[in-house]
Amino acid sequence: MNSLLGMARSSAWNRRSTLVWVVVSLALATALLWTLERLRSDIRSSFSQSVSGVDLIVGARSSSVQLMLFSVFHIGNQPQTLSMDSVRAVAQHRSVAWVVPLSLGDSHRGFPVLGTTTAYFQHFAYGDKQALVLQQGSPFAGTLDGLFETVIGSEVARKLGYGIGQSITLAHGMHDHDHDHSGELSEAQDEHSDKPFKVVGILAPTGTPVDRTVHVSLQALEALHLDWTGGTPLPGGQIPADQARKFNLEPEEVTAALVGLKSRAAVFNVQRFVNLYEAEALMGVLPGVALGELWSVLGIGESALLAVSALVALVSVVSLMAVVLAGLNERRRELAVLRAVGAAPRHVLTLLTLEGLWVTTAGIGLGVVLAQAGMWLATPWLQSALGIRLQLEMPLPTQWALLGAVWLAGLLASLGPAWRAYRLSLADGLSPRL
Amino acid sequence: MIDIEPLHFAWTSGGPDTLALGPLHLDAGQTVFLHGPSGCGKSTLLGLLAGVLSPRTGRVSLLGQDWAALGAGQRDAFRADHVGVIFQQFNLLPYLSVLDNVTLPCRFSALRRRRSSQGPFAGPEQSAQSWLQRMGLSAELWGRRADALSVGQQQRVAAARALIGQPELILADEPTSALDAALRHDFMDLLLQATRDAGSTLVCVSHDATQAERFDLQWSLPELQKLGMAA
Repeated sequence: MNSLLGMARSSAWNRRSTLVWVVVSLALATALLWTLERLRSDIRSSFSQSVSGVDLIVGARSSSVQLMLFSVFHIGNQPQTLSMDSVRAVAQHRSVAWVVPLSLGDSHRGFPVLGTTTAYFQHFAYGDKQALVLQQGSPFAGTLDGLFETVIGSEVARKLGYGIGQSITLAHGMHDHDHDHSGELSEAQDEHSDKPFKVVGILAPTGTPVDRTVHVSLQALEALHLDWTGGTPLPGGQIPADQARKFNLEPEEVTAALVGLKSRAAVFNVQRFVNLYEAEALMGVLPGVALGELWSVLGIGESALLAVSALVALVSVVSLMAVVLAGLNERRRELAVLRAVGAAPRHVLTLLTLEGLWVTTAGIGLGVVLAQAGMWLATPWLQSALGIRLQLEMPLPTQWALLGAVWLAGLLASLGPAWRAYRLSLADGLSPRL
Repeated sequence: MIDIEPLHFAWTSGGPDTLALGPLHLDAGQTVFLHGPSGCGKSTLLGLLAGVLSPRTGRVSLLGQDWAALGAGQRDAFRADHVGVIFQQFNLLPYLSVLDNVTLPCRFSALRRRRSSQGPFAGPEQSAQSWLQRMGLSAELWGRRADALSVGQQQRVAAARALIGQPELILADEPTSALDAALRHDFMDLLLQATRDAGSTLVCVSHDATQAERFDLQWSLPELQKLGMAA
């Protein structure tokens, strides 16, 4: 067996010029499956880790997935706002412990700007109910004196090289400005340049969208937009930063509100209260339920990708079978030689099977290396663009299972030609009839 | 050593007999020159002697063992232990080195592995090197891929492989027909001498009548067939 293993390797190596393409296609299939499973799992865990301790997300009535994606992940948009009156009404419900209003819409060099209250830093949690921790500095004051203060996520600080005291300006809208391109700031990014902010705090890394967020107070966002209407600056009459403090900066509407309850048991009561709220069409979303909905939507795409990858794997093993089968007739002489030196047909069967397994194993090995290298290279981008952190060190059981499935398919595909060789070898004996 | 009781062989059951032989006997160490026109059944006879083919009637025994009494797996094992084979050409696995080709039978036969590790040899490798040397192949060729050698060299490697572990019977199917006339004589010299030294019996099919005199026995298959038909 041992010597057959070595012989099979030499034999496969001898046929490397044709088998290399089988190895490559097996590697691609393996890399696809391996990467897909990793991404699938890490996207889910990244999303699930991103919000914790929030019992309800309240927003204007729309799609629950859309509301959650926008308010927590800053993905997509939420055209409808809800009034602060409604937020206050929810906050007064007897089961509600706290409410954190969120206002989104501006950006800083591609990073979303979140307007909120200081309560955000107390109540927002990620992972397993881990609170936000400031690595440096303090939260923004939430007072008029500290109006233009900002707290930035760790990724923002790292990417843009910001420290405490850095002065930054915000831009209107969620343009995905490519902050990797150094160079001149486009006009759009300068839209709020008359009211610069000072970085007063930098949050510790969380591995969630918080890392990519610039946090300011709701009042600051109001001040920014005093001289704006309908998404454009008012013609004439700019209001300088100093004078902005004299205006009423209490916001009338926000994008969404995070709600924490005194007891989780009341969640459906409060949800019903929100959904039936009469003054405005509101919606209360349970983050877990919305995530579940998201997975069921994503699941279709995932299944399709998985099916395509499985098909690629299938095509690969079939091509393995075809290539070995096609070469078999030329090898009848070789089979006769094997018989002549004492190999039984079962040895021929084993040898051919092992040869296929070498090819399969080489393909799988190459595929895993390719996939790991590819994901390693993509990690910084995934982290900064989507906030997804890949766990490359510890492959998942399901990843191994997929490898096992490819290997098993390779084994089955190898048995076909091996069986044919066995039959040929039985029929030909020592003298192949060519 | 080899005993053939009157036998009939047909390729297909119910088909015409392609071979009919009377009783034949070979002693250990004898060398036989087997000749006859193409298609008269020389390779078939080798197949019967090697236990790859089975006669319709009659019996072929090697070392007192009736091939027909063995199951397929046992026949394979018995052949691996006691029979060495040399083909006309393409004897070697191209992807193995010369040395690995020679030691191949020792991978499949424990008996030949044991025998090739006896005496002065520490293992099949040393034994193989010794046989290769006997066949006039110098050490710098041993590590090369088998298909890097000339046809003449390859035949000598094949002879060394057939002889390693001293199987009792060597079957050679036109081993010189792919060689130039000048090389044939030398090859036969080496093969005959090495076979005698190993104490093996040699059955050699050949068209080259000039070699016939150097064998202990000359069998003409058509004449054997006539005797067999008569029997």
